[in-house]
Amino acid sequence: MGQEPDFRKELISIIPNLRAFAASLAGSFDRADDLVQETLVKAWDKQHTFQPGTNLKAWLFTILRNEFYTQMRKKGREVQDVDGIHAMQLAGHPEQQGHLDLQDFRKALDQLPDDQREALILIGASGFSYEEAADICKCAVGTIKSRVSRARTRMADLLGIEGDGEFGPDSINSQIIGVAPAA
Amino acid sequence: MEDRKNKDVSASEASPVPSTDAGADLGPSSAIGKRLKAYYDDVAGEPVPDRFLSLLDALDTAESNSQTSKRS
Repeated sequence: MGQEPDFRKELISIIPNLRAFAASLAGSFDRADDLVQETLVKAWDKQHTFQPGTNLKAWLFTILRNEFYTQMRKKGREVQDVDGIHAMQLAGHPEQQGHLDLQDFRKALDQLPDDQREALILIGASGFSYEEAADICKCAVGTIKSRVSRARTRMADLLGIEGDGEFGPDSINSQIIGVAPAA
Repeated sequence: MEDRKNKDVSASEASPVPSTDAGADLGPSSAIGKRLKAYYDDVAGEPVPDRFLSLLDALDTAESNSQTSKRS
């Protein structure tokens, strides 16, 4: 008794982040939410192993990531669709409608190797430090740094961004609109 | 769109990011960093689906049931 209400509350506050991370790993929203569900069940079962005061978010991300790779090993890579299904699912997702540039970004992200993609997300979007990301991915800090750097270079290539930071979103948007099929 | 001036603002907003140089070259003023955040926040900005709240309720209930049955 006692610690559960807080644990529950904190879990809930981290769910949005878990979903976003899961979506970036898994590709489809259904699969992402299944991953989050598994993560919550596991976290609940193991909550006595969590040390209060340490980083709950990193702990949960670690569980989710382990779960994802365990499932991948079991199922093989058949779920890893790169273009079509992803794009369709994104288009069907209410929040994503009208976000052609996000679809395009997603496609580019999908072309990264898993290890680079997760490093990029953890550092660039989830707000973890290199040290935390290294813990989550069970590798050296330097490895995370080089993965992020390679991922970033590759994304710039894929998205046709040169000298990242010099182009505003306006110019990027117009590039994408030029490429996208007319609706 | 909402940009241009954003670059200056976001540079100062970026500082609460952890102590280290995390994401230094993925900061909000980089084109990739910006779109990465937009992509991520598109999902992270959604309300928590009911299915997860019910799941936690169910786990909670299951746990307290098993505890009381052990005790009695």
